[in-house]
Amino acid sequence: MQNKIEVSMGKGAVTAAPHVILSSGLGSCVVVTLYDTERKLGGLAHIMLPDSSSLNGYHPPYKCADTAIATLTKELRSMRASPRNMVAKLVGGAKMFLSSDDFSPGVGKQNITSVKRILKQKRIPVIGENTGGNYGRNVEFYLDSGKVMVRAIGREDKEI
Amino acid sequence: MNDKKQLLSAEQVDFLTEMMNIGAGNAATALTQVLQCRVDIIVPRVLVITDAQELSILTSPSLPVVCARMGMVGDVSGGLFLIVPEEQKEDLIRLAERAMTGGGQSWRAGITSQESDDLKLSVIAEISNIVAGVFLTAVHDFCKLNIYHTVPTVATDMVQALLDESLVRLSRQVQHIIVIENEFMVEENLIKTFLVMVPSVESVNILVNSIGQARMAMVKDGG
Repeated sequence: MQNKIEVSMGKGAVTAAPHVILSSGLGSCVVVTLYDTERKLGGLAHIMLPDSSSLNGYHPPYKCADTAIATLTKELRSMRASPRNMVAKLVGGAKMFLSSDDFSPGVGKQNITSVKRILKQKRIPVIGENTGGNYGRNVEFYLDSGKVMVRAIGREDKEI
Repeated sequence: MNDKKQLLSAEQVDFLTEMMNIGAGNAATALTQVLQCRVDIIVPRVLVITDAQELSILTSPSLPVVCARMGMVGDVSGGLFLIVPEEQKEDLIRLAERAMTGGGQSWRAGITSQESDDLKLSVIAEISNIVAGVFLTAVHDFCKLNIYHTVPTVATDMVQALLDESLVRLSRQVQHIIVIENEFMVEENLIKTFLVMVPSVESVNILVNSIGQARMAMVKDGG
């Protein structure tokens, strides 16, 4: 039986083959998938912010890039995933409104930069990416193959 | 748990709803003139959101919408969004087209589809200008706050994708997002709109205090 797990903004989930993790309505947020290619287990985080140090007090673990990736790897290790076999894929980080009075790089770009830096520190290779642009995305992460499908309105589906 | 708290009391949210009811009435009058047909309103629903997750009460995160983003400047600064679900966008454009051409030749005759799309987005931008303007006028009349909106930028996509950058700001600091859900009956077409006010961290207290004072003044006056 294949279950579909829906992950909302600022949340995360881990599971194993043959299940699927979904997340929808990604704009400037970034989805990171981690996958153990040997054991066919993995996790997905729908990250909103690049860094937790700007927040005061309690915040949910999957909200910011640093704590989200730390939580994902911890959860996966407790399921006996090996960090050596882990690969990452990134989706999202768009800038939705292109206006003539706004030259800032936006939260999306900062999210991508931060996630890549953290993955590099953890020596987890990024093997697929569909990021940037000015459009929203839906994500489906298939745990049997590690395949990630990216869907956007008015665009062809992309497999990464 | 976190230290977020509701700044507006239930009575103040009721008052805000009353204020937005007047705004919706003004918007219907303005739309009657623009669309040249009868526009009725259904009492608006006002929601004050303190957590990004709560947006899902209103819609599915991947609902296709057209969204006009504006800035608020003046006594209260921040962002202002007018959202129309994609399936009602065409109705709205068709009504606007009919009003502008008097039911005669289509304005889209002899233009490319790109030009037609641009034209549609500019119709939405214009309607957003009008609706945002009348709502801010209602806020001014009740709360004596001068708030102006900047020129709209329009984009079409999934609702959560369009708003997440603004919603993300919620999680940085305690903040309030005011969502006004409006339904307009334009002849036999039901047009749903969401007006989303995101006051900046610096001005959220100004807005909340003004709402509180205006409500107290009204209670004293009329009981």
